Amino acid sequence: MDFTSSPGLTVGVELELQILNSRDYDLARDAADLIGLLEKTPHPGAVKPEITESMVELNSSIHPGHDSLVSELKAIRDTVVHAAQRLNVRIAGGGSHPFHMWADRRIYPTERFRHLLALYGYLAKQFTIFGQHVHVGCPDGDVAIYLTHILSRYVPHFIALSASSPYQQGEDTSYQSSRLNTVSAFPLSGQIPFVHSWKEFLEYFEKMRGYGIVESMKDFYWDIRPKPEFGTVEIRVFDTPLTVERAAMLAAYAQSLARYILTDRPLAPQRDVYMVYNYNRFQACRYGIEAKLVDAYARRPVSLREEVLDTLKVLAPHAAALGNGHALASLAADVEAGRTDAGWLRQMHRERGSLNDVARVQSDLWMGVDQPEKAKDAHKS
Amino acid sequence: MTQLNFLPPFPLDASPLALFGLLLLAGVIAGELVKRALHLPRIVGYVLIGLLLGASGFNLLDAGLVGESWIFVDIALGLILFELGRRLDFAWLRRDPWLAATGALESALAFACVFAALLYFGVAPLYAALAASIAIGTAPAVVLVVAQDLKAEGQVTERALILTAMNSVIAYVSSTMLLAWLHHEYRAGWIVVVLHPVYLLCGSVLLGYAGSIAAIALARGLGKSERAQFVVSLALIVVTVGAARVLELSVVLALLAFGVLSKNLDRRHRLMAVDTGWFGQLFVVVLFVVSGASLNVGELATGGTLALVYVLARFAGKSAGVMSLTYLSGARRGTAGLLCMALMPMSATAVGMVYRTAQLYPEFGERLGAIVLSAVLILELVGPIAVQLALKRAGEAREENLP
Repeated sequence: MDFTSSPGLTVGVELELQILNSRDYDLARDAADLIGLLEKTPHPGAVKPEITESMVELNSSIHPGHDSLVSELKAIRDTVVHAAQRLNVRIAGGGSHPFHMWADRRIYPTERFRHLLALYGYLAKQFTIFGQHVHVGCPDGDVAIYLTHILSRYVPHFIALSASSPYQQGEDTSYQSSRLNTVSAFPLSGQIPFVHSWKEFLEYFEKMRGYGIVESMKDFYWDIRPKPEFGTVEIRVFDTPLTVERAAMLAAYAQSLARYILTDRPLAPQRDVYMVYNYNRFQACRYGIEAKLVDAYARRPVSLREEVLDTLKVLAPHAAALGNGHALASLAADVEAGRTDAGWLRQMHRERGSLNDVARVQSDLWMGVDQPEKAKDAHKS
Repeated sequence: MTQLNFLPPFPLDASPLALFGLLLLAGVIAGELVKRALHLPRIVGYVLIGLLLGASGFNLLDAGLVGESWIFVDIALGLILFELGRRLDFAWLRRDPWLAATGALESALAFACVFAALLYFGVAPLYAALAASIAIGTAPAVVLVVAQDLKAEGQVTERALILTAMNSVIAYVSSTMLLAWLHHEYRAGWIVVVLHPVYLLCGSVLLGYAGSIAAIALARGLGKSERAQFVVSLALIVVTVGAARVLELSVVLALLAFGVLSKNLDRRHRLMAVDTGWFGQLFVVVLFVVSGASLNVGELATGGTLALVYVLARFAGKSAGVMSLTYLSGARRGTAGLLCMALMPMSATAVGMVYRTAQLYPEFGERLGAIVLSAVLILELVGPIAVQLALKRAGEAREENLP
């Protein structure tokens, strides 16, 4: 398994999206029809099936920075929205559907997804949750391993900035991101082992393959994993945000962070990061930006909000170099004002009174539907 | 003897409640038998037991008892047509004009084919036109109930339902317009010729409009309480059915209008989607048992050949309309063929239209009845099977796929 070299620090995203019906805004089952219709329409990027028929995955191309990424994402969104409207279904962002029942889901009929159902049973249907994956290009495998270890320290940032799954199965979970609790149930979720080079990683991988535990990198559901065939490091802890604009902002944050890590090499990989990892991850899922973390390097408790704001300052020159300056400025403004997607969803529930309405306005927001929604303007940052 | 006057008089009076319960029992048992033994839709069982108990069989359910049970039939139809009306989403038709065109074309071609075929076989133009206008409609109850039974969801299901809603409206409106012609033929005064259809159409739509305005206003006051909104919707459906009966308006059109308008006028999304669930199922069972009982297999002897022509011409017309436009409206290949099957059923609403005409002009009803009711008899049994097959083929029926 060779690591394909990528031009350094390019960025690309995958977005898993919800397909809703237009009647009560529960999840629909029209993925195959939607993908079929999109195959007839030329559009940038790609749209692919996901594990259940209520999901689609939208892929961007490879980009040098935020601006071209966001305009491509908007173009794909508009094409997808147009196709969805012809089928009378809606598309929404957000890490979870607020009230669907997992037992109602149906597996998308491909060999791989059927295999996952056979292996994981009901977990496969519960896996109807929606994440954003951000890929950052790396020149070689050793760099990818280093980047993976250092980015692990920043996992709570990614979780808190994207958190948009407060509701599951019709209930308020009290979490900002409940999605990751579902991922944790899988036996091959978690983190990369503490290896120091691509060679060492390959030894580990071959052992796991020899035992018959995995067949390919796809079988590891890690929070961050190297993706040798793309030549990238893939960050997988983001909830799909409520808009493509925010998805591009989060990608810009990850890309700028990667530039900082790889040019300044500010930290060395440390085992202690993984000692406090699950505690920090839980804190970010539960409390979002209000979380209290333990910093493994400074060996003291810190406030996530301050951490993120400090990091945004450190990243400023790197963001500027990539053309991501304004994206990170909007992100900083949101953090300072306490605006989050999870908070917006809860506010909608208070104002509208039902989770059906939450799902409706959630899809209005993602589709950019023109509706007299005051809240939509308030959400724009 | 006088000491025994606490005993009921003999013969016993028919009790509508006991009747409801017995029809329910008979239907449920037959439905489960048909489902388990033959893997056919439960509806087929309901209709079969109806045929067996009705005039075609043991005549336990005679015309009198069928008349007694029309209240349950009306409630069932009310619930179904309301739900179907809510599926007629104008926003979808605006975004996809090809879908709207499909609905118009398949209705027009079904009418044209049946009309031409009946003319060819020597049926008088007026009879042919009225029979053809009834042929436009697909049985809302069959499509909706089979879809609910299978927990079907997807493009074939949704499109079958919206096309059914459209063709039900078109069938009802066009057959009502033809009533004017009929009035004229029977030398009714000009006032009747013009005013009766106008009263039926406008009155029914207005009644539905009043229902929807009341529903939206009440929902606004009650807020998003699923329980309260469920009860209010149910209450308004029953009130609207009753009012339509009292005012001699159309239950079908009033309830369809109620559903359509409550979906499309509710701009602020006050109304929650109501699932009548188990409650609705009870009435649906009785609906199909009674509609089976009201059909007479004997009529197949007189209407037989023409009924077959009617069924085939209707299928040809609908299929030509659906096949020519569905692909343009963004559906996957294969959807059109499945839709042709799903639009096949005819049922209680067609029976209702025949009886309405028969009430006004008994002689005419008899001639028309032989043809249309025989066709309904065929399609009441074949239709549910066709819908089930279409939805399963489409992969839209929910199957247990946990290993």
